[in-house]
Amino acid sequence: MRVAIAEDSVLLREGLARLLGEAGFDVVGQCGTGDDLLLKVRSYTPDVVIVDIRLPPTHSDEGLRAALEIREKYPSVGVLVLSQYVELGLALKLLADSAEGVGYLLKDRISDVDDFLAAVRRVADGGSALDPLIVSALISRQRADDPLARLTAREREVLELMATGSSNQGIADKLVITLRAVEKYVSSIFGKLGLPSSGSESRRVLAVLLFLQS
Amino acid sequence: MVADAREPPSVSVLQAIAVAGLVTAGGSFALGMANEDVSGIQVLLLEWISIPYVAAGLVAWWRRPDSRLGALMIAGGFATAVSALAFASYSLPHTVGLVFDILPAVIFLHVYLAFPEGRLRSQFERILVAIAYVAAISLQILKMALDGVGPHNLVKLSERPGAAHTVETVQLLSISAICLAGIGVLATRRRQAGRPLRRPVALLINSFALGLLMIAVLFVSGTLDVSQFLVIQRATLLVIGISPIAFLVGLLDARLARSAVGDLFVELRADPSPVGLRDALARALRDPSLTLAYWLPEFETWADIDGRPVQLPGSQSGRATTLIERDGAHVAALLHDPGLEDEPELLAAVGAAAGIALENGRLQAEQKANLEELKGSRARVIEAGQKERQRLERNLHDGAQQRLVALSLELSMLKRHLADDAQASQQLERARGEITASLEELRAVARGLHPAVLSGHGLEVALQSIAAHSPAPVQLSVTLEGRLPEQIEVAAYYVVSESLANIAKHAQAGTVRVEVSRAAELVVVEVVDDGVGGADTELGSGLRGLADRVEAHGGRLRVWSPPGGGTRVRAEMPCE
Repeated sequence: MRVAIAEDSVLLREGLARLLGEAGFDVVGQCGTGDDLLLKVRSYTPDVVIVDIRLPPTHSDEGLRAALEIREKYPSVGVLVLSQYVELGLALKLLADSAEGVGYLLKDRISDVDDFLAAVRRVADGGSALDPLIVSALISRQRADDPLARLTAREREVLELMATGSSNQGIADKLVITLRAVEKYVSSIFGKLGLPSSGSESRRVLAVLLFLQS
Repeated sequence: MVADAREPPSVSVLQAIAVAGLVTAGGSFALGMANEDVSGIQVLLLEWISIPYVAAGLVAWWRRPDSRLGALMIAGGFATAVSALAFASYSLPHTVGLVFDILPAVIFLHVYLAFPEGRLRSQFERILVAIAYVAAISLQILKMALDGVGPHNLVKLSERPGAAHTVETVQLLSISAICLAGIGVLATRRRQAGRPLRRPVALLINSFALGLLMIAVLFVSGTLDVSQFLVIQRATLLVIGISPIAFLVGLLDARLARSAVGDLFVELRADPSPVGLRDALARALRDPSLTLAYWLPEFETWADIDGRPVQLPGSQSGRATTLIERDGAHVAALLHDPGLEDEPELLAAVGAAAGIALENGRLQAEQKANLEELKGSRARVIEAGQKERQRLERNLHDGAQQRLVALSLELSMLKRHLADDAQASQQLERARGEITASLEELRAVARGLHPAVLSGHGLEVALQSIAAHSPAPVQLSVTLEGRLPEQIEVAAYYVVSESLANIAKHAQAGTVRVEVSRAAELVVVEVVDDGVGGADTELGSGLRGLADRVEAHGGRLRVWSPPGGGTRVRAEMPCE
């Protein structure tokens, strides 16, 4: 799997490259700005890019702009955005109308090495990875006539993992249950929330997210 | 008063001119009455012009020695009287009278255009008047030389009535045209002045324009052999005589104006507040264009009643300035019509009557200016604080936070390498847990310092995030076109985040509505909840800080929170 990294902190960039290299990724490019990242994507067409949301020169939105541009011009390239803060507004902007091949994680998640590598692979394969902080904030908010109250505790757990982009297999592994059981929970959740059950795992991320946000 | 005063003429000079004027007028009157061919009305009309012009000229010269207007008016009066010599049956005075036949009309044109300074203001006006003089004198003599004006004419050289008629037509039409152009000049000046004229001045200028119009009509009809010529001529003479009388009435009016000072005294004693002071002064001075400026010694500037700096008009601005002083220090300046400089006593009396009120006005202007200064410095303090917080957030983000993330990653990788050593793994995991906790704390601190997402991505994105973290569901509506100025965005952000924090703590709200919109030049931020209400609307603690931020940008923050009726926080900030 080919990966390119845009991160202006050299220390972190090299740590990431080493981690990915050791995990069997082919790190085809490392750079410190959004413009360089676009050049690397054009030259090497990696499977996935990992990009810091704040990049030089102004450290405001350069990383996000590079990510959006890559998503638009190279839809086959997965984009995983890293940030010191996770903001729902930015997640919505990044996902826009598709959660396919996109991820948005807090930088802290990198050191949960296994989960992080799984997220990178998922995004590279066209799946999605949304930071649990965003999902838990959305799930824990009070709602008048809360439809989430109709879910069992287990179903809530499954919903939360689903919203972060976990695949059914991923959910099964995490909760140590069978794939068959996960599928049952998923269809029960969609039924209770009145969501149309859509096949693709990345499409359901967006559906769940929009449901939770409304 | 700003006047490089020339000495007024001595009384004996004025008396001599007055006597000469009366003698000339009496002489012309006697000549006219002695001539059987001339009607008494005609003679009286000439006196109607000549005497008031000499009289008004004398007053003008005495009151405004700097202006040549008085001398010009006297010349007009004498020229009119001299033209009556044409009534004489002796050849010499008759001839002299004929030479002066047309000249008075041009002198009046000159007076009208030269009012009030006594000089013409543009090259165009000078050329107009010069051509008119040439037509009135040279063409008149040429006409007489060609025998265009009857018997007893000493300068007759040949007898060519056809040519004389042509010369007369050219003469009269060209002066008529110049008179009409003169009306245009008066109208243009009035439009350019762009402010209301004092009433006596407006009356006077109107009489000028009417005079010019009548001269033009008279001369045109003179070339056309109109049967009603005599009527037109008398009407014209009647109208020309009005101007000096209007002038004298204006001066009399000024004397009467001084009685208005008494009213002003009474009015200001009843209410010495600066409110309405300008209007009261404008009434007393009868100058609707009057404005006031106050001297602020602390700022070394002139300012209006609201403390905004103003420039005093220069000498070329067509405005005049009268400084009001108290105990040797500037208090205020009256910016008024230059015509008022004719009335120094009135200005002094009004200035004295309004002394206390003007001093009050000055204090109010000073207070407002101080307040503005304070507002400005509060905005600067808040902005400087904001910049500093932004800088700190940036330093934390690019420094400590990045290093801790890298360190945590390093420990994780180390742990993978030491997978066989359970104890080491455990210790590394503990260390990583510490780092994660530190990162969380740092993140909270940094975000509290400055919401970086705001500068990077704007108000809507930033508010979506805080809305998502609100325990009560938030209906967020941001209707803005493009970004707002940074300081306004920051203030709006804090209004929403602080309000949502208060709602989470106290309101027990079911839903919250957050609206940010921009109408014309006002940004409105409103946070409304359906909670228990009864919040401290006296802007205690947290709200005070918010109000500071909002007010520093010239806006205001209001809170409604009836018990049981929810809470509504509304911030309005001007934004250009």
